[in-house]
Amino acid sequence: MENHDILSKINRQSGMTVPDGYFHDFQQRMSAKLPQQDWEKPVTAPVKRSRWQIIRPYVYMAAMFAGIWCMMNMFDILRPASSLDIAENPTLMSAIDNDAFYYNYCVADMPDTEIYDDLYEQGFNPDDIEF
Amino acid sequence: MTEVTTTDNDESQLVARLRDPSTCRKAFEEVIARYGEPLYWQIRRMVQCHEDADDLLQNTFLKAWSSIDNFRGDAKLSTWLYKIAINESLSHIERERKRPNVSMDDEDSHLLHAIESDTHIDGNELALQLRKAIALLPEKQRLVFNMRYYDDMKYEQMSEILGTSVGALKASYHLAVKKIEQYFHDND
Repeated sequence: MENHDILSKINRQSGMTVPDGYFHDFQQRMSAKLPQQDWEKPVTAPVKRSRWQIIRPYVYMAAMFAGIWCMMNMFDILRPASSLDIAENPTLMSAIDNDAFYYNYCVADMPDTEIYDDLYEQGFNPDDIEF
Repeated sequence: MTEVTTTDNDESQLVARLRDPSTCRKAFEEVIARYGEPLYWQIRRMVQCHEDADDLLQNTFLKAWSSIDNFRGDAKLSTWLYKIAINESLSHIERERKRPNVSMDDEDSHLLHAIESDTHIDGNELALQLRKAIALLPEKQRLVFNMRYYDDMKYEQMSEILGTSVGALKASYHLAVKKIEQYFHDND
């Protein structure tokens, strides 16, 4: 075989083939695989909000505070009336009138120095005590 | 060989449509129809296997589509697409070389193996021998030979695609032809 004209003998035939209809189908297959570009995505116009949609969060917030206020008032109404004035509280008055209760629960809690001070102010003299 | 016959006017119109978002997709489908076959053969001659060539061709168009915004039209559309296709092919060959079952002593063994196991052939024994001879060429010479011999591409366009001077490309082609002739001489 003459080597110098081997390439001309082959005549640019690669000897390679493709499956039947390959190029015919390729464009369609390839086009279907092209992902959507960002600029191809439909532009959605901003939705115009109604007046109610604009004020709705503020209304909800006001309703929430109003609810809290109502709840606090309701608990206040349900709470039994009570007074810290001793004169108007018969239970406390009877307790204070009871000497045993007074000495056991009130005087017992007083420090000795206060008791002595009170006694001395009232004219107490230790020498007067007979043993 | 499939020639792409486009005038400068055709190309500039196509590029203009590619830049317009409303016509870009249709224009790109036209690009696929126009350049699909020549790019396929360029890739196929590089990787030899039809299945690999099909995958790489799809990757080429997907990459081109994803970076269509970057195509400014400074270079020809075909030059830009060939660059992507060749880069894809070379990356594939490099990946194949790094596979554990490919011998590092014979870097082109995977190409020869691909040729021998290729089922999409026309039975032309001489053409098969030529494929083997080309597969044994160094990568750059293989590229240059394929572009020049099969695609009849001008050296100026090859220079743009490969980033090599015209003189160096002519030298590469000359060397490639000599090596192929030597291969046939040795296997005669």
